[in-house]
Amino acid sequence: MKKTLGLILLTLTLMWIMAPLCFAEEAAAATGGKSSNILYYALAALGSGLGIGLAALGTGIGQGIGLGGACEGVARNPGASGKITTTLIIGLAMIESLAIYALVVVLILIFVNPFGKLLQ
Amino acid sequence: MTEVLLMDLIVKPDVIPHNVTHAFLASIILIVTALMVKGSLSLVPRGLQNFVEVIVEAIYKLVDENIGHHWGKTLFPFICTIFMFILLCNFMGLVPGFAAATSNVNTNAAMAVPVFLTTHFFGIRVHGVSYINHFLGPIRSIAALPLMILMFCVEVIGHIARPITLTVRLFGNMTGKHIILLVLGIIAPMFAPAVILCLGVLVSVVQAFVFALLTTLYLAGAVEHAH
Repeated sequence: MKKTLGLILLTLTLMWIMAPLCFAEEAAAATGGKSSNILYYALAALGSGLGIGLAALGTGIGQGIGLGGACEGVARNPGASGKITTTLIIGLAMIESLAIYALVVVLILIFVNPFGKLLQ
Repeated sequence: MTEVLLMDLIVKPDVIPHNVTHAFLASIILIVTALMVKGSLSLVPRGLQNFVEVIVEAIYKLVDENIGHHWGKTLFPFICTIFMFILLCNFMGLVPGFAAATSNVNTNAAMAVPVFLTTHFFGIRVHGVSYINHFLGPIRSIAALPLMILMFCVEVIGHIARPITLTVRLFGNMTGKHIILLVLGIIAPMFAPAVILCLGVLVSVVQAFVFALLTTLYLAGAVEHAH
């Protein structure tokens, strides 16, 4: 029962995601004059949203696990809380930088349009 | 997306870009501060010398713990200069009317590439030809040649990733903070940018410290005796 429900939901989600792509391609072909730039920006918007969302998900989980370890360390040994806090902040900055890499890719996709020059 | 800044009164932004002029401004501020502190040194520090000594002592403790006494003294000015320059540039980005020089990839790459070159220069200077042992992994004998080749490829990729990640980490943090301020300033003009500015202060300090810490760790890895 649960498996069939999951399968139906998955099919519906994929349909909803793929439908705008088909319509955008038709619209781009219909207008003709705009050299299908709209399709690039539509896909870039979709990819950027998904990319940043997944990066934030991974960062949240990773930093949460790190923070949990730090809280446990301080609880066991309150005298070492200064060193643990310093190590925690450094660790959080390193994990955060992975989400920053995803952000840089998203910024490149949205603002730089790397394929624009290639197609012209 | 060129904004109008105070520096535009002095230098036109088309001729010299914003990151260059603000990097020059940060350098001039650092040199003037150094000359002012050097001119009147006293054993018990007060005022500006006290503030500078706090930063210098903190970074010297970091360098001493990780690199050791012998090469720590040689490498300390490089690391401390990088830390102070990045800290000052990041703080300048928070002040309205100025831009952060570190929110441009070129300034960050101009700092990350010398770090990369310095690690290899000091590695070769300390170890000579046996610097290659650092790249070959834990087992170094003729019988383990495939492992050595594999470890060499992995280490080369890791080493090439270092200046890229140093650059992109700093650039992403500064530009992301700037863009969030821009977007929130359009949506909710009064209160939300103030919170982001507080977060921006924390991020500026932490990212400057992380850059200096990573530089220290890379240099320590290059200078230490291979196990």
